[in-house]
Amino acid sequence: MYKRIILNDFLRSKIISLTTIIFVAAAAMLVSLAAMLVVNLSGALDTLMKEAKTPHFMQMHSGDIDLERLEAFAEQNSNVDEYQVLEFLNIDGTQIVLGENSLANNVQDNGLSVQSEKFDFLLDLNGKVINVSDGELYVPVSYMRDNTTKIGDKAVIEGKEFTVVGFLRDSQMNSSLSGSKRFLVSKNDYDELKNHGNMEYLIEFRLKDVSQIGEFENAYASEGLEANGPAVTYQLFKLMNALSDGLLIAIILLVSALVVAIAFMCIRFALLTKIEGDYREIGVMKAIGLRISDIKKMYLAKYAMISALGCVVGFGLSLILKDMLLENIKLYMGESNNTLLALLLAIIGILCLFLTIIVFVNILLRRFREISAAEAIRFGSTQQKSLGARRVTLGRNRFMNTNIFLGMKDVLGRKRLYVTSLAVLVFSVFIIIVPQNLYNTISSDKFTQNMGVGNYDMRIDIQQTDNIHEKTSEIVEAITNDNSITRFTVLTTKTFQVSVKDGIEENMKVELGDHSIFPIEYSKGRAPITEEEIALSTIYADEWSKNVGDKIILTVEDVETELMVSGIYSDITNGGKTAKAVFQDSSSDVMWNIISAEFTNKTSVDKKISEYVNEFDFAKVSGIDEFVNQTFGSTILSVKKASYVAIAIALIITILVTLLFLKLLIVKDRYNISVMKAFGYTNKDITLQYTSRSVFVLIIGIILGTVLANTLGEQLAGMVISSFGASTFKFSVDVLPSYVFSPIMMICAVLIATIIGTMGIRRINITENMKE
Amino acid sequence: MEKLIIGEHIMKSFGEGEEQQIVLNRISIEIGEGEFISVMGPSGSGKSTLMHIISGLDRMDGGRVTFNNRSLVDMGENELSDMRRREMGFVFQQPTMLHNLNILDNIILPSMRDNRKEVANLVEKARYLMKKVGILELEKRSITEVSGGQLQRAGICRSLMNRPKIVFGDEPTGALNSKSAEEIMDIFSEINKEGTAVMMVTHDAKVAARTERVLFMRDGKVLDEIKLPKFDGKDIERRVEYVTEKMLEIGI
Ligand SMILES: Nc1ncnc2c1ncn2[C@@H]1O[C@H](COP(=O)(O)OP(=O)(O)OP(=O)(O)O)[C@@H](O)[C@H]1O
Ligand SMILES: [Mg+2]
Repeated sequence: MYKRIILNDFLRSKIISLTTIIFVAAAAMLVSLAAMLVVNLSGALDTLMKEAKTPHFMQMHSGDIDLERLEAFAEQNSNVDEYQVLEFLNIDGTQIVLGENSLANNVQDNGLSVQSEKFDFLLDLNGKVINVSDGELYVPVSYMRDNTTKIGDKAVIEGKEFTVVGFLRDSQMNSSLSGSKRFLVSKNDYDELKNHGNMEYLIEFRLKDVSQIGEFENAYASEGLEANGPAVTYQLFKLMNALSDGLLIAIILLVSALVVAIAFMCIRFALLTKIEGDYREIGVMKAIGLRISDIKKMYLAKYAMISALGCVVGFGLSLILKDMLLENIKLYMGESNNTLLALLLAIIGILCLFLTIIVFVNILLRRFREISAAEAIRFGSTQQKSLGARRVTLGRNRFMNTNIFLGMKDVLGRKRLYVTSLAVLVFSVFIIIVPQNLYNTISSDKFTQNMGVGNYDMRIDIQQTDNIHEKTSEIVEAITNDNSITRFTVLTTKTFQVSVKDGIEENMKVELGDHSIFPIEYSKGRAPITEEEIALSTIYADEWSKNVGDKIILTVEDVETELMVSGIYSDITNGGKTAKAVFQDSSSDVMWNIISAEFTNKTSVDKKISEYVNEFDFAKVSGIDEFVNQTFGSTILSVKKASYVAIAIALIITILVTLLFLKLLIVKDRYNISVMKAFGYTNKDITLQYTSRSVFVLIIGIILGTVLANTLGEQLAGMVISSFGASTFKFSVDVLPSYVFSPIMMICAVLIATIIGTMGIRRINITENMKE
Repeated sequence: MEKLIIGEHIMKSFGEGEEQQIVLNRISIEIGEGEFISVMGPSGSGKSTLMHIISGLDRMDGGRVTFNNRSLVDMGENELSDMRRREMGFVFQQPTMLHNLNILDNIILPSMRDNRKEVANLVEKARYLMKKVGILELEKRSITEVSGGQLQRAGICRSLMNRPKIVFGDEPTGALNSKSAEEIMDIFSEINKEGTAVMMVTHDAKVAARTERVLFMRDGKVLDEIKLPKFDGKDIERRVEYVTEKMLEIGI
């Protein structure tokens, strides 16, 4: 008999069983995909870095270099396994033309290299060390990804013609987060062009004991060796390579959590209505002495079946879809050789999901125990014990349409039932609003100010030239004479020794100049004003656990100077490790100068910028939009895409769940509906009652969802953003889309679902259904 | 006496093809204004179906029914709803109440549809009716907190809220003990005395004996009918005997 009960249940609730299977499948698919991505990402990354023999420590340097001294250091340091100095010939973007496209507007430092002999190899897309012949050019794989060029294109660099013969993976500089890109040419071609660019050196070490990188870094710094440029360690290379796919994995996990939640809700709803619907039968069974635990087991078996089916389907789907998501990893990093591990982990993930569902169903089935046989037989349905709804009586309702009143009263009276669909609506609102607000926030000016970029129009980087002072003055003079410029400032970045703790010294890049002209946001404190003050980026402040008011000691003109931390700010430029101060210094070398300027006429900014580009070809001139765009552009774009996808998903989920919910509710309520019909309520009246239930629940959902999005959602988004080096995060909200259009879209979705879902009301026959 | 309901050659069958079962076979019935009529017959003879059809709860397959000179066949669902709500009252064997409303709300539910603004009047009227049937103190109770007889009384109050022209009772006393049944019948007699027509389906000769006219049905047909004088509380034994005799004669 139990079997028949379950089978009937399955057939009667075809829709909801199917939907549950679909959601479980979706969740399983996402979990499995995330697992496979994690394993493949780490596997491929390891393979890439192993094949390429990525340096464990790399110091970039421009200017004079003392190779003998470096050689001596490498020989004398016991931890050095291998050492080499590679050249990187930095070529101005305007001088690189790939096929039809010039790299003039590219913010990356593009340059030429030859293949290394010892380690840090540039690999082709099969993971093999490239052997390049004269006239051939290998292009960084990121330019393949963004369709800048393709194999067979003609390339012209500094007037010399090349043929693009392939693309290369660069274990150091693959990621868009790394500021430089290496093109590979033959030794002969390189020598020919050697005088056309700025030479930079990559001083690279492979260590015997990789765990000692920190000590090695300090040893290198304390020797006072060449260090005019950023230093990067193995871990950082790894992190940069993993970040963008890591974010994707994080998003997939988040979405799968949402889907799992919805699957849970479906199950919960199905079981609750089931228990309510079968109340009398279960009560009777109890009364005549049948064991509830047996019935429980049958239901459990049913859900085990449903979730097993969902999990299998989801796993299958993930196998089909995985190649699409792995494309990026495969392109940038190559194959991972632990596919088996990936499958294993995916299966483990899915098993966890399966077990969670079973435990959840088990908890829900405890309700069976609460059923009283006596009540069940007498009244045939669960009794509402909600006092809140008891006080809401028709007899006191003077102001509201009776149908709307009845609808709302029902929601209040059967809260348990409506919680399910409410939760789904809250989720939907949440996932509509959060990505939208996130997009709004990161695309706003305020955000870039928040990220360490002031609000100016043009930025000129003067870097790696010999007489940086004269060149800067040249530009400053031009700017001073340019009456279309309202404000400008020159910020000079120099390296100083800073003693953080006893005896430990570090190199710190400090940006000197007037920081009040294009102010940025400080998460704590304010900009440095006096010569005794310094502001630190969040990453530095965290690393050295410094707070506003703390002191740090800097060596300025060979004198140890005590500076007070005046403020802490978020920064994404220069790897997030920066500081700002205003003191004068004439001793140390200038690493680079940045001139920021603002134009009077915002409409002609592009024109002005191209004038400066042409006039000062030794400097890198970029518009702020371009700068922001190339730094965050891809992030902003993916968030935008994600927000559209989220809206679509949320609306589909809303429609689906509302539809399902109403259909079930109406079947469940058919007795009540037929009673009302018998006493003269029209189909329209009853439809209005159900519509007002949906709308009432939706309104609560919208309010809760919005509140949640602005609290929890903000925190979540803040966590994502902080991985870029931001410290504080506040949504900047565009009211119209977030709080007008989104709710309207939700209301439309719910109304459509309600119209379709309530069609069944007409078909409820009075005389058949009142016999109960 | 003006005719309130005229039904002619009503046909109704359930099921299709071989399964088809004719439940009402060309039945004709007339109910006058203010008349107290009852229908008797064996289980399955089509009594409830007949009542459902002449009250617009269900549609007929053939024939014609007019209520107050309006043809039910020509009315849409909404018009039928309006008619039932405004001009008819129903009391069923099982108390048909909404679980999520209390007794008072259940009683005023049909009348709230049109007269929300006068809710105070409605509540007052409901209380008056409840007092009359003796359940005034139960108004705030949930429907699961009262007895079957009390619920039936509440159902009667509900059916009277809109001053209907006719009240249909489908075995309203079927689930009650004989004392409660008598009390309920007294209420119906009272209603009828005030000018409301009552049509009652019943198995109980004691119930039928209180009415003015008794129809006897079998297999979807009216076999016979008897007329009685208006009940004035006297001679109940004789009336019951008369009805019972007729029942035996027909073989019900
Ligand atoms: N919805 C339906 N579908 C199929 N058959 C039905 C339906 N409703 C009633 N019937 C059949 O119609 C016949 C008459 O039913 P009806 O309810 O009118 O009988 P009744 O005289 O009221 O019986 P009782 O005294 O038991 O209430 C019965 O045989 C029943 O099986
Ligand atoms: Mg019947």
